[in-house]
Amino acid sequence: MAAQPNSLIATFETTAGILRAAETVRDAGYKHWDCITPFPVHGLDKAMGVARSRVPRFSLAGGITGFCTGMSMIWFMNKFDYPLIVGGKPFFSPLFAFPVSYELTILFTAFATIGGMLFLNRLPMHYHPVLKYDHIHRGLDDRFFIVIESRDPKFNLEATRALLEKAGGADITELEA
Amino acid sequence: MSTRAAASSAPATPLPAAAGTKPAAAAGRALALGLAGLAATAAGFFLTPDTHAFALAYLTGLSFWIAVAIGMLIMVMIHYVLDASWSVALRRQYEHWLAGVKWLALLFVPLLVATWVKPGSIWPWTDLATPLHGGHGTIGDDILYIKKSAFLNPAALTLGTIAFFGLWMLLAARLRACSFAQDDDGDLKWTRKARVAAAAGLPVMAVTLTLAAIYWMKSLEYHWFSTMYGVWFFADCARAALSIGVLLSLRLYSRGDYKGILNTHHLHSVGQLIFAFTVFWAYISFSQYFLIWNANVPEETFWYNLRELSAEGAFNQWGWVGMALVFGHFLLPFLYLLSYKNKVTRARLRAVVVWILVVILIDLCYNILPAAKDARGQPQPFLSLNLLWVLTTLAGAGGLCAWAYLRSLPTRKLIPIRDPRIDECLTHHD
Repeated sequence: MAAQPNSLIATFETTAGILRAAETVRDAGYKHWDCITPFPVHGLDKAMGVARSRVPRFSLAGGITGFCTGMSMIWFMNKFDYPLIVGGKPFFSPLFAFPVSYELTILFTAFATIGGMLFLNRLPMHYHPVLKYDHIHRGLDDRFFIVIESRDPKFNLEATRALLEKAGGADITELEA
Repeated sequence: MSTRAAASSAPATPLPAAAGTKPAAAAGRALALGLAGLAATAAGFFLTPDTHAFALAYLTGLSFWIAVAIGMLIMVMIHYVLDASWSVALRRQYEHWLAGVKWLALLFVPLLVATWVKPGSIWPWTDLATPLHGGHGTIGDDILYIKKSAFLNPAALTLGTIAFFGLWMLLAARLRACSFAQDDDGDLKWTRKARVAAAAGLPVMAVTLTLAAIYWMKSLEYHWFSTMYGVWFFADCARAALSIGVLLSLRLYSRGDYKGILNTHHLHSVGQLIFAFTVFWAYISFSQYFLIWNANVPEETFWYNLRELSAEGAFNQWGWVGMALVFGHFLLPFLYLLSYKNKVTRARLRAVVVWILVVILIDLCYNILPAAKDARGQPQPFLSLNLLWVLTTLAGAGGLCAWAYLRSLPTRKLIPIRDPRIDECLTHHD
């Protein structure tokens, strides 16, 4: 038996074509697959059945961490470790700790958002099998691709190829890892 | 693209004017509510012994709807200046609501008349013979007044107020006329004219709303000063306008008029704006408090002390109101609006905008009502008869505004169907 390819790639010429095809692949129950488009196609996330991003959870965690870091840092320094009267104010008050905590909330939220986005997208990724595909540069210009990976439990070389053909894909090609 | 394709199947040209279920009946109910509210307020004027406190309650209720109108005017202008697309359909509801500005101007007239008939009855500095608290002479002898007298005098107040309302009515009429004229002929020149009016109008709005907040509210305790005050009022204006805008849009949606027009992405965008202004309000309110707390100068701190401590140094009712604002005006809506679902689910968004409107009213109470003092020079409590007159005025002025809106609504197309950006609005996707 010949080695299983890494994935199958199919070419589409129009946004309408790839939207319809994405719906077909989604409805066939595939999980490990993706669309490659030269520009953002509105509605593609829905056609692919992609759920809302989980990045906001990272942002929230980052924000809470930042706020608590600011508050506890100022409490530790001014009230606990080295109590110091400044301007006749209490050793610690959330009021004067607030601006710093607020800035750290924003900073840590930004870090967590970027980091969470990279983590969830498994970036940076230095190699991907589609890069070996001869026509992949058209995906930056005027062609749309759907890639279905063979690790998908529903993947079957013949059936998947037939599905992509039925969905209107052209030039269906096997990609090696 | 699919959204594009959806647009062509979505309602295109022949949209009905908002003809739903008997708009006239709804307008009649709004008018009845308004007149009943005003009648109750008028009764209050003759019943209450403390006309100063009553006038401040009236000012509070009226300020709420003035804030909504100012906010809507600014939202329409921002829409044009930024050449926004997603808000085209919502803009039409703001334009209809702006039909009520003239009634707000009319409702303000009694305050000016009272000031001329009985100086000092609302703004103490309109009567220089008003004695200062603690036997320190009169306002006319007060150096802190004398330094501000070129600005704080009845003539300037009257002319200023006339100018504010005049400019707001002018801008509202201009923006309404441009948008409505485009419904008829679809000419792009109306968009350009509206853009010019908006670009010229935004600085005008910034100056007039700041001066209005200073004259009408801040000068009630004229010793006090804060450069944040105009910005604070703007924050409330913007949030109030967006919240009323959401209620109007959801009303049209539940009646069926906005089905196929208002989508999840519109709600998400409005929800994000409300969220942003929630943070903005907190930012400027905290900054005002923090700078005064940190500097700890008596000329500034007294304003907050009156709103926190009684003469005996105990936490008073206004202290609790202040805490309610910290949590109710900021923290709760902030946490609630972080969630995507809460912004795009109609019932959830409606709940939070109603909450925000209630807290904005409390915020206005917090800023205005403590200027009404009891015999010992302490602020009258929050829970008092004054609150009743705030609510009757709120119903009165609100009823008139809703009536003006409902009368304007059926006269025009439901959405600006010939606006150059209407397609982008109907297919809005964020």
